[in-house]
Amino acid sequence: MNWRKLRTLFLWAFALSLIPATRYYQIDVPLLHFLRGHHVDPLSLHLAGEFVENNLGTEQNSDGSVTVRMIAQQYLFIPHCIVVPVGVPVHLRITSADAVHSLTFNGTDDAVKVLPGTVSQTQLQFPKAGDYKTVCREFCGAGHYAMRSEVKVVPRDQFPTLQPGERGTCAAQ
Amino acid sequence: MLRNNRPAASAANLPRPKAALTLGFTLLVTLAACALLLQAGDSPPDRVPSNVAWTPETIAAASSGDAFRGLLLAKRCGHCHGDEGFSARASTPNLAGLNKLAIWKQLEDFRTQKRLSHAMDPIAASLSPRDEADVVAYFSKLPVFTDPQDNRAFPQSRPDQGHAAIATHLVSFGDGERGIPPCQACHGPVAYRPGVPSLMTQNTDYVLIQLEAFANGTRTNDINEPMRTIAALLTEEERKALAEYYGSGLGLQSGSSTSPK
Repeated sequence: MNWRKLRTLFLWAFALSLIPATRYYQIDVPLLHFLRGHHVDPLSLHLAGEFVENNLGTEQNSDGSVTVRMIAQQYLFIPHCIVVPVGVPVHLRITSADAVHSLTFNGTDDAVKVLPGTVSQTQLQFPKAGDYKTVCREFCGAGHYAMRSEVKVVPRDQFPTLQPGERGTCAAQ
Repeated sequence: MLRNNRPAASAANLPRPKAALTLGFTLLVTLAACALLLQAGDSPPDRVPSNVAWTPETIAAASSGDAFRGLLLAKRCGHCHGDEGFSARASTPNLAGLNKLAIWKQLEDFRTQKRLSHAMDPIAASLSPRDEADVVAYFSKLPVFTDPQDNRAFPQSRPDQGHAAIATHLVSFGDGERGIPPCQACHGPVAYRPGVPSLMTQNTDYVLIQLEAFANGTRTNDINEPMRTIAALLTEEERKALAEYYGSGLGLQSGSSTSPK
């Protein structure tokens, strides 16, 4: 193989590698997360671990930010309505109990892909108070179009002070 | 005589180290229990809705029952649930033709006290896992269609026009605005999720009682709380309309008439 052919090969490899490099944001981040070995069992989320019933909802962190834990299941987001304070970093941790879902917030560009077996984590911030509708953007089955829920973004003084073991949802407010 | 007594006396002395050991062991256990209790005091225990998880092993165990043995066991169930799985009292569920996994999960939850019922808790506690699978296999094989000559609770009178319209819309489309998925996406006939019962031949009062129980949190054994969420989103009238829809057999006529396997 002469050096010309080698150079052509190298150039082609470089050009092709640009395609995924320029579209990094389209690569399935939770899938990479799964391949790196961060597994949860989608069938037994309710038995133990991070996504048990009393751990879902909004958690107050010591640094002022909040962590929101949710489950996406055919055809609901659980909890169905979450409360977060306005203007603070929101760490969203969400996993699926069955199919692939995608969580989007109306009025923002954020979309979180949710795969069964792994936890999708993202950081959000809501600059304006109000009610945001969340919608499932990935077709997940017969009731997909009705898979919607709500995020209530409230001013900081209206956000309840949560105890360490306490989780905030709309029902508790 | 004295000689003979000597070993006996030394044997009587023996328990002393034994007693010390027992005392030490008891102390240790008490300490461990205290430590555990203190730990539990720090963080509240996890609220587990049901011990059932639909792993392939669970599904295999729940659906591999012997229907003939189930027939013999089910002689006890006929009192309330009817000899052919259709009960005479509308507040008692019909079991004929229900999904195996659906009945099995409820029996398992009654047994582990995750779903509370004065009638079912002692009965489920007396069943072994194999008995549960057998009874379930029997009831799932019973025919869904009832004899019109028979005076069973199902089917009941049809709901009025308004209620029928509300219920038909909720069953087939749900309500996207409020985030209520259509009932038929999980309860059939469009699709079934594991452990979800078909409601096509269920009694009005039973469906209504369970919807109310889910809505006010007295029944909490749904995995990942889908039914608690949906029942709380429905209005009182909608719950009533849905119960009447299923209790009058409207689902059987509008949907496909096949029962879930």
